[in-house]
Amino acid sequence: MAKATRKSSKRMTVSQEVMIQMIDVHKWYGQFHVLKDINLTVNKGERIVICGPSGSGKSTLIRCINRLEEHQRGQIIVEGTELTGDLKHVELIRSEVGMVFQHFNLFPHLTVMENLCLAPIWVRKMPRQEAEEVAMNYLERVKIPEQARKYPGQLSGGQQQRVAIARSLCMSPKVMLFDEPTSALDPEMIKEVLDVMVELAESGMTMLCVTHEMGFAKTVSNRVIFMDEGQIIEENEPEEFFNHPRSDRTKLFLSQILHH
Amino acid sequence: MNLLRTLVVSTAIACFTFAGVAGAGTLDDVKRKGFVQCGVSQGLPGFSNPDEKGNWTGIDVDICRAVAAAIFGDASKVKYTPLSAKERFTALQSGEVDVLSRNTTWTLVRDTALGLNFTGVTYYDGQGFMVPKKLGVKSAKELNGASVCVNIGTTTELNMADFFRANKMEYKPVVFEKADEVVAAYDAGRCDVYTTDRSGLAAQRLKLKNPDAHMVLPEIISKEPLGPVVRHGDDQWFDLVKWTLYAMLEAEEYGLNSKNVDKMKSSSDPVVKRLLGIEGDMGKNLGVDNNWVYNIVKQVGNYSEVYDRNVGPATPLKLERGANALWKEGGLQYGMPVR
Amino acid sequence: MAAEKKEALVLAKPPAKPPIWNDPRYRALFFQVLVLGGIILLCVFLVHNTLANLARQGIASGFEFLGRTSGFSISMHLISYAEENTYFRAFLVGLLNTLLVSVIGIVLATIFGFILGIARLSKNWLIAKLATVYIETLRNIPLLLQLFFWYFGILRQLPGPRNSIALFDTFFLNIRGLFSPQPIPQPGFWWIPAALGVAIAGIIFLARWARKRQEQTGEQFPVFWTSLGLIIGLPLIATLITGFPLKWNYPELQGFNFQGGLVLIPEFVALVLALSLYTATFIAEIVRAGILGVSHGQTEAAYSLGLRPTPTLRLVIIPQALRIIIPPLTSQYLNLTKNSSLAAAIAYPDLVLVFAGTVLMQTGQAVEIIGITMAVYLTISLLISGLMNWYNKKMALVER
Ligand SMILES: Nc1ncnc2c1ncn2[C@@H]1O[C@H](COP(=O)(O)OP(=O)(O)OP(=O)(O)O)[C@@H](O)[C@H]1O
Ligand SMILES: N[C@@H](CCC(=O)N[C@@H](CS)C(=O)NCC(=O)O)C(=O)O
Ligand SMILES: [Mg+2]
Repeated sequence: MAKATRKSSKRMTVSQEVMIQMIDVHKWYGQFHVLKDINLTVNKGERIVICGPSGSGKSTLIRCINRLEEHQRGQIIVEGTELTGDLKHVELIRSEVGMVFQHFNLFPHLTVMENLCLAPIWVRKMPRQEAEEVAMNYLERVKIPEQARKYPGQLSGGQQQRVAIARSLCMSPKVMLFDEPTSALDPEMIKEVLDVMVELAESGMTMLCVTHEMGFAKTVSNRVIFMDEGQIIEENEPEEFFNHPRSDRTKLFLSQILHH
Repeated sequence: MNLLRTLVVSTAIACFTFAGVAGAGTLDDVKRKGFVQCGVSQGLPGFSNPDEKGNWTGIDVDICRAVAAAIFGDASKVKYTPLSAKERFTALQSGEVDVLSRNTTWTLVRDTALGLNFTGVTYYDGQGFMVPKKLGVKSAKELNGASVCVNIGTTTELNMADFFRANKMEYKPVVFEKADEVVAAYDAGRCDVYTTDRSGLAAQRLKLKNPDAHMVLPEIISKEPLGPVVRHGDDQWFDLVKWTLYAMLEAEEYGLNSKNVDKMKSSSDPVVKRLLGIEGDMGKNLGVDNNWVYNIVKQVGNYSEVYDRNVGPATPLKLERGANALWKEGGLQYGMPVR
Repeated sequence: MAAEKKEALVLAKPPAKPPIWNDPRYRALFFQVLVLGGIILLCVFLVHNTLANLARQGIASGFEFLGRTSGFSISMHLISYAEENTYFRAFLVGLLNTLLVSVIGIVLATIFGFILGIARLSKNWLIAKLATVYIETLRNIPLLLQLFFWYFGILRQLPGPRNSIALFDTFFLNIRGLFSPQPIPQPGFWWIPAALGVAIAGIIFLARWARKRQEQTGEQFPVFWTSLGLIIGLPLIATLITGFPLKWNYPELQGFNFQGGLVLIPEFVALVLALSLYTATFIAEIVRAGILGVSHGQTEAAYSLGLRPTPTLRLVIIPQALRIIIPPLTSQYLNLTKNSSLAAAIAYPDLVLVFAGTVLMQTGQAVEIIGITMAVYLTISLLISGLMNWYNKKMALVER
């Protein structure tokens, strides 16, 4: 991790305004209880890193926030709107919550520019010209304005993930969800994506990030959540979390992940 | 460029050899392979039809058997190829069969443009119409607007067009390749009329669910001289097939039949003596044994025996001799003199 | 100095050319010319040999026959045709009948195939199972058998003309076909289709304009409802003004059968049914594979951006699925077209039955006629694949 980020993280502020609230959330896949009694409050401007062993339910948790998965019990409230079966609520929340996937999920039949403009035009009803201006702006922020006319298939993995981030940002989301954004990338590309994420954090974006990049967690996040077997086991400030883990499972996990 | 020259030379050689093969004499071929390959119908009772045991029978089949008897002295040395009306000429042209004996009408185009030769007429026929009795139609002139079931690739198809055109009537052809499908379509009511050679009507009628519910209209709209066919350009083979039929007609005319032919060997009639090969070299002239007629009559029979056995009044087809009687009895059948 | 210069010059020279026979470009060219020459020679040899054989056997050759009077009737013709017309016209009639059956078959098979394919992916258990059973059954029964089933099994059971099944006394169904009234336009009638044409042109224009406006200002326009209004309204107004000057020629039982009106002969119906129902099963599988081939991540990405299911399908899933679907779909279209020649088995007067059948029999010019027929099928096939390839290229993904 770049030294600069350590300094900058001090500058970041957290407000008291509640962005996401999960209350007693449970989820089952058939008989399988994936999420057990999840309680989580995320304030505006918070940068939360979620970690935990494979299969612990990290992805499921953040996918519930934009209802790519449905929870069966409890409440999820995003920006004052509760996620229910009401499609209007779902649409509203999805357009306010951006998501970045492990495998980018860019639309391969559209150019980078078209990928970025699709949702602003069709969801926000933005004129194309304006949408393109916004898109160009974000492409510059992720440092690949020159790739605008190319197709995703012509870009490197790191470039593709940066396009995916820009695509989400084009909707001016209030929250960004990241599901292992760097784990499909070659080491030399991880940094370029993390740099973008750090910059995004500095700009005050509310972020929930599933990642195994412990450097990122230490320097950028203001809270780390450790999950196992569908439960939140431990939740703490990064300093405390890494230096004084409370539960044995956290200790075990950290020892495994830091030795690698 | 050496390769190119080789290519040209080999092509040229291939050209010559290829042209050479196709011209060989059919009779020699047949003798070499030991049987006559005979093109027949896919099943037309009385003309060419397999019986319950799968043996081919019929007037057309007997012509082929007679040819085999003349060549080999053994009427059973025939192999049959069932052909639809559509396939038959191609099969003959390509050499797949040696002779086509399949109720085929002698026409100018077939005799010339198709590169074929008709060797004679085994059965003088004409085209007729069959309708269900319940239609109440009494004459072919009342068929305006009718749907007509017909076999593809037949003179029937053409004559029908001529007839309706000449009488300023309209019709809707329903054309099948397989004769059985034509009959089935007519039987199911897909058409009002079934048309083909009258002999064919008599034969196919037997396949209907209720033959008595149908009638043949009085009009005969065409001449259908049916006979065996061979390829152009092989006169020896043409002669043999042609004279096989004449021999059967001559045998009838001079009183030779399968029962008396052995006794007749001692006849003093010079015509009979020539026919039976006791005098003259008739067979040699044709490239077969001199007792060729004896073999034909003994094993297959004379023309009237063949007629009566297959299509005559005593058979289900119940066809009177009519135009197919000998010339002496007022008919058209006239065997050329064997001398 | 001078010597150095000289050396420099020598070095600057391009590397010596390889001998011509070692130059890969010339080598490739040489072998291509060689192969092409060989093929041409072979063709010349075959043509020459065929002509020589035909001439030796006294079989007629040439294409003059196309201009001669055909003398036979054809039960179904899209262009006017009578016995006085030429063999060439009979050829056209057969060709058009083949094209008709193929085009209608392709359209129906595509529609039905897409529905089936999507049904098989349905979350509704019953619908998915029904689609599966249909697909697995029909695609494993030979087409000819299905053709016979429809023609001999089903349509043959229909009653004769005098016992026709009547619908409102205007439509009649019997073993000879389906008879329906035929519209006969009177003067002034053409205003109505013209109004329809104007409506369609208007809609196209409207759609473009609305799209442009949406791109420029973001405002959306109720294109669908306006279009619906146009396409119903304009012809309706034209009808009211002109008073719908259309007469109907009703089929009437006269003599042997119904006369007048439009007829759909059972041979055509059986062929279209068999071809489209059979090919639809293959298209369904292609469509299913196409949709499954677009990863679920695409849908999730679109949803997470706030797109609704319908625009997601239209803008994200279908354009990608089409790329997977089109190449195998092309070969299904080709199959259907070629399979349409099974027509001859059930007396549908297509190109094979009319031209390679009756005309061939009457003229005996097998080489020419089979040659023309093959060329026609080849041309149709090449046109279809050319068209689909062009479309596919237009849609192709750009890869690294
Ligand atoms: N669609 C599904 N149906 C049934 N079980 C599922 C489904 N999706 C996930 N699971 C199960 O739910 C559990 C949690 O999955 P989840 O993807 O949330 O784990 P994760 O913590 O993100 O793991 P990883 O680090 O490997 O991505 C796993 O045991 C997984 O097998
Ligand atoms: N004699 C006519 C018609 C011959 C013909 O094919 N007739 C049909 C109908 S009777 C037939 O023989 N069918 C029997 C079969 O195809 O097996 C001709 O030579 O064109
Ligand atoms: Mg995961």
